[in-house]
Amino acid sequence: MTMTSRRGRLALMAGLAIGSLVLSGCGSDMNSSSKPSDDGKVAGKITFQTWNLKNDKFTSYFNNLIAAFEKAHPGTDIKWVDQPAEGYQDKLSADAAAGSLPDVIDMGPESAYTLGQAGVLLNLEKDDPGAKKLYLPKAWEAMTFKKLGGTYGYPWYLNTGPSFFNTALFKKCGLDPKHLPKTFDELFDQAEIMGKNCKDTPMMARMPSIELFGAYGVPLMNAAGTKFTYNDAKGVELVEHFRKLYAGKALTKEALNNLQTKELETFKAGRLGYMGGSSYTLDDLKATAPNVYKTLGIGPAITNGAPNTYMESLVVNAGSKHKTLAKAFARYVTNPANQLAFGKKASVFPSTVGSMDDPYFTKDDGQPSTKVRLQSAAQVKKAVVYWPAAFSGGADVETLREQLALAVIGKKSVKDALDTSVKFSNDRLASQR
Amino acid sequence: MFSFSSHAPPTTGNRGRRPKRLGTIAQYLILTLMTVLMAGPLLWQLSLSLKSSGESLYERPPRLVPEHPTWHNFVAVLDRIPVPHYFLNSLLVAGMAVIGNVVGATCAGYALGKLRFRGRGVATAVFVAALLVPGEIVLISQFLLVRNAGLANTLVGVVLPTIVAALNVLLMRNAFASLPAEFDEAAIVDGANVWQRFIRVSLPQVKGVITVVAIFSFIGSWNDFLWPLIVLSDESNYTLTVGLNRLRGTFYSDPRLVAAGTIIALIPIVAFFAILQRYFFRGLEEGGLKG
Repeated sequence: MTMTSRRGRLALMAGLAIGSLVLSGCGSDMNSSSKPSDDGKVAGKITFQTWNLKNDKFTSYFNNLIAAFEKAHPGTDIKWVDQPAEGYQDKLSADAAAGSLPDVIDMGPESAYTLGQAGVLLNLEKDDPGAKKLYLPKAWEAMTFKKLGGTYGYPWYLNTGPSFFNTALFKKCGLDPKHLPKTFDELFDQAEIMGKNCKDTPMMARMPSIELFGAYGVPLMNAAGTKFTYNDAKGVELVEHFRKLYAGKALTKEALNNLQTKELETFKAGRLGYMGGSSYTLDDLKATAPNVYKTLGIGPAITNGAPNTYMESLVVNAGSKHKTLAKAFARYVTNPANQLAFGKKASVFPSTVGSMDDPYFTKDDGQPSTKVRLQSAAQVKKAVVYWPAAFSGGADVETLREQLALAVIGKKSVKDALDTSVKFSNDRLASQR
Repeated sequence: MFSFSSHAPPTTGNRGRRPKRLGTIAQYLILTLMTVLMAGPLLWQLSLSLKSSGESLYERPPRLVPEHPTWHNFVAVLDRIPVPHYFLNSLLVAGMAVIGNVVGATCAGYALGKLRFRGRGVATAVFVAALLVPGEIVLISQFLLVRNAGLANTLVGVVLPTIVAALNVLLMRNAFASLPAEFDEAAIVDGANVWQRFIRVSLPQVKGVITVVAIFSFIGSWNDFLWPLIVLSDESNYTLTVGLNRLRGTFYSDPRLVAAGTIIALIPIVAFFAILQRYFFRGLEEGGLKG
């Protein structure tokens, strides 16, 4: 069994065979079968699908959630199914092709983009225009895919986190743990020093990801959402930093290929100085890497503008027989009260207007976990979902990483590498209708 | 992993002692390396599954012997997941796969290997062609077929595409084809019909290959993840591999639990193999080589 789950880290989720087969195969297939008569009533039976949420921690939450909804709306029956994280994208693709998608489905924006493109998701801009004002504008925007001309999902929770530092390493490698890096410049400068003093414990262990480009201030896409643009001067500048670090041996060879899971493992092994985390990473470190937890340093996420956040959403199947009910239920799960309750349970953040003003996100009680939460909450208010939904977690992510590796080891100029990567993603995007 | 040592090449008498000893040392070095490479990850999983929650998992160098060994992870797995239920589902699927492959592949293999009929060459070619198509490519269309047959979300739907695997048919075909024709001819003289020749004459000679087919189909079906995941949508129908995926935490995983789940899933395979292993190695030697 391969285990690479990081829920909310969408990068990993859609990694597998995003169904180009589905995209090309089912577009026409679906149109013929997707003219169900919507009864226009909040009644009937629908299926609600989550992934990896039926367990000790969340089962009772969802059971109560559904029971309360059914009680408030007599004549409704919500069937909850939960799928494993592994292979979720494949499962969605197969179900989309077979016309057997559930009515309300939990997924990230990139999956929604893929399915929206295949024409199997409800366009809320058309079918539920009133929903827009309920959610934070940036969350709604993240589900609005300009190239497809619509909004394809209800924003659910947001997920952001602080910077984590291994202060023991800072001390050992001639850095001052009292002055943890707060800006990219400080980070790169200190990374250089750390690399000079300690050969096998670098500051960073991963190539910049697309969302890091965003946080660095690189424009990722054009306004129409049809072309990627991260190969501009600012993008080159970011990669040049990495190239310099690699030349100074402050970045290891492994870093060229590392995924986020590997970065986390290296950090847990106490061999990494810095890592961007999620608000729930703290609990993880406490449980599986107690030695690192003891000397953990925590700071705000490093960014040149707004910090990054990831997002999860609920989409409605365009072929649903009870669209009105499906929409009502999706709105209900993502309403402020329910999002707040879920956020408390899962250490994530609501995407609804006003929810972040709750005392839970503003009142300090001195606990380290509260500190992380408040810091992250303050961050969420400013944060942006940098990851463009059109940037596929499979092919696009891999191409970018490969090209960056070539540039960093000096086989290619940085500009060349970024141009190649951008062209690949643009061509892929253009080829899909 | 199991019996490399039995295949040590015979040493020639003329050689001096030194080169022989060097050769032996090299052999053992390679064997040790192979053992570490193949058994290492398994041992690590076992060690991980026995570690208690306070222990650091990512130390360098890694610590193989748990500081505070505990069964707690196994208990937690049994607690979180209806293991016996999923186990039974997996066993049903694997059982159907084994029976289907043993019966189906043996019959088909005999027909292709021993009987003369029109289109035999084409039929064999079809099986070879089927081998060349990667499963991922036909996954979606396979699902559409199974769904239209009304078998989505059933265990029969899970087992159907591999109930008689092309590879096994070809394995059996080769095994039968390599049996000397004289046996059959003698049986024909004695007045045996096709079924009698099949069951009494040929079948006893390919038992080993049948075991190979049984073990391959058992392991293949037991370990399959993606296909059952796509076919099944109700948790009550999950097979063990799909069900165990639930051990993954929602936002972050406890590697100890995952390791414990892996070990649990491995037990039946080891047991099945242990029971059939003496036939298995005989079968590997038989397959297509015997003249």
